[in-house]
Amino acid sequence: MILQIIINGILKGGLYALMAIGMSLIWGVMDIINIAHGSFIMLGAFTTYWLFTLFGIDPFLSLVASMTVLFILGYAVQKYLINLVIRASAFITLILAFGIEIFINNSALVMWTADVRKVKVPYGAANFSIGNFVTVPTVRLLAFLLVIIISIILFYILNKTNLGRSIRATSQDLDAARLVGVDVARTYAVTFGLGVGAAGAAGTLWAILFPISPMMGGILTLKSFVVVIIGGLGNMLGPLIGGLTLGVTEALGSNWFGSTYENLISFTILVLVLIIRPQGILGGTE
Amino acid sequence: MRGVIKTVLIGLAVLGLVFSYGSFAKAENPKVIKLGCAISFTGGKSRSGKLYRDAYDMAVEKINKSGGVKVGKDTYIFKIIYYDDKSDPTESSRLVEKLITQDKVNFLLGPYSSGITIPDSLVAMRYKIPMIEGGGASGKIFSRGNKYIFGTLPPASQYFKSTLEMLKTFKPVPKTIAILYADDKFDVSVGQGTKKLAEKMGFKVVLFEKYAEGATDFNSILTKIKSLNAEVVLLAGHTEESLNFTQQAKELNVCPKMISMTVGPSEADFRKSLGKDAEYIYGVASWSTQMNFKGYLFKDTQEFVKLFKEKFNYDPDYHNASGIACVAVFKDAIERAGTLDPEKVRDAIAATSLDTIYGHVEFSPNGQIKGTSVVLQILGGEVIQVYPNGVKKPVYPVPCWKDRK
Repeated sequence: MILQIIINGILKGGLYALMAIGMSLIWGVMDIINIAHGSFIMLGAFTTYWLFTLFGIDPFLSLVASMTVLFILGYAVQKYLINLVIRASAFITLILAFGIEIFINNSALVMWTADVRKVKVPYGAANFSIGNFVTVPTVRLLAFLLVIIISIILFYILNKTNLGRSIRATSQDLDAARLVGVDVARTYAVTFGLGVGAAGAAGTLWAILFPISPMMGGILTLKSFVVVIIGGLGNMLGPLIGGLTLGVTEALGSNWFGSTYENLISFTILVLVLIIRPQGILGGTE
Repeated sequence: MRGVIKTVLIGLAVLGLVFSYGSFAKAENPKVIKLGCAISFTGGKSRSGKLYRDAYDMAVEKINKSGGVKVGKDTYIFKIIYYDDKSDPTESSRLVEKLITQDKVNFLLGPYSSGITIPDSLVAMRYKIPMIEGGGASGKIFSRGNKYIFGTLPPASQYFKSTLEMLKTFKPVPKTIAILYADDKFDVSVGQGTKKLAEKMGFKVVLFEKYAEGATDFNSILTKIKSLNAEVVLLAGHTEESLNFTQQAKELNVCPKMISMTVGPSEADFRKSLGKDAEYIYGVASWSTQMNFKGYLFKDTQEFVKLFKEKFNYDPDYHNASGIACVAVFKDAIERAGTLDPEKVRDAIAATSLDTIYGHVEFSPNGQIKGTSVVLQILGGEVIQVYPNGVKKPVYPVPCWKDRK
């Protein structure tokens, strides 16, 4: 049974990691705590839902669509909204992000009502067994593999391309980056787009696994936040480590102490990390 | 600048005059009984909130069309004043206070969910305005000696009573039960009440676990159910949790002989979302469309179901029926009291004995309806009443996920 619980935790941790990658990227580069992150995940989930319901497009294929849609949305939000206040104090961007969250959630509520919806794929609950004791849900495993693939792609973009170099340069030293000719405004917009695009991917996977509704974003923002803190900023592996840590601890914890304490466990870890290692497990020194 | 402000002020004053004239004109003819209702239009409870609003509106429309409310020699019509409580208990109780003090409503209709009904009912008590609610069943609403609150949902602690009685009729009688419940007020009452009942009836409760309201992940609970070999799973939660639980039970291939849920199975959403996987899930409800009671506002349950479906384009469930009963009780009680005096109407409500499409309504001294719930099962994609007086025989044990077509 303990093995099953750990596997459950790891698979869930993968999803947490994907949720947090986007938030970590935006936070690390621009110092914006994107409160609206969960709402973007929700939009990704609904993109998948509608593509599936209206056109019968398989959720795994719609991954590309939801990432693209959310990338464009994120790019636009940064370019036309957040860039206007990026030089102001952190509080202003925080408030703006909060406003965006309220706007997105309530628009979704008006458009789609508060109904709980579900993407019904025939393979939704497929599973296979290892031995007699362990059952592995196939979709969760696929989601986990996708998380790793997406992390690798992002890692590649950040480290090996010109775009990535300008993103990293901007986050390390704004003035120097500007001096060597980096278009900072554009870099910010692209970074935000990438982060939100990753949120879109998380939304798609979330929609395959769980029911979705316009108000689902809040708790996802919180979980992503915890994962980012645990993993630490400024490292693409941070969210992955943070996600797995959170997933496994939650699974074990809710087994030992009862499921009602799942959130208590997440936030206890958060507090512990903040006390013992404020920069996160993999975070650099700042 | 000053000129602009002046113009705006004059404009506002004129607007105010126009509106107040409108309300004066309306107040006289016909006479209006104002019912106040702060309920969820938005937020997490908005789905269920809508079920009550539809029911309240339909009942009021029906009453107003067919002769209104007779108070002594006068005839009144009902008018409901709604506010959106945003699914927030604090906001809701504030709005109830506003309804009483500013809108001067005569009586109150309840919100949805036990957690919101508790603070709202306390406001009703403070101002001594009777409230009839159809959306909160937790014992905590009725255990405070509040004379002004009446509820039409049966006690939460008795929700699974009929289910446990049904289990006793199965051969062989299942021995082990897992009880899971969300950590909100209503579901805690259900969970604890069910445990007490089950143990008294000789079942072994192998798992008694509370989970956080809105939980999405049931993997560890399911793993426990499997390893403890619980034959029957009783879940007291909300639609989303019921959906997650069912889907993940299939993912992890956990198949108890029976799964029953308080909220979900009777709702169309649940069946639509799960498709075939909803099959065989059991549920409980204080009412089902397959019942037939002589009505008060409508001829009988079947006529109500037909009219409701035509009007709103979905099948009514127990929330809707319970909401209809609230308005019906108000009309009956006000007519018997022969006055709009809150105290006298309160006493008339307490003495209610009324046949409605929801069943016979009579209140216990604490204000909660005397009644019990029926067992439902999803069979062939439809919600069927299986116990007591089942339309069909319940399927037990249910086939495991892998053995289904």
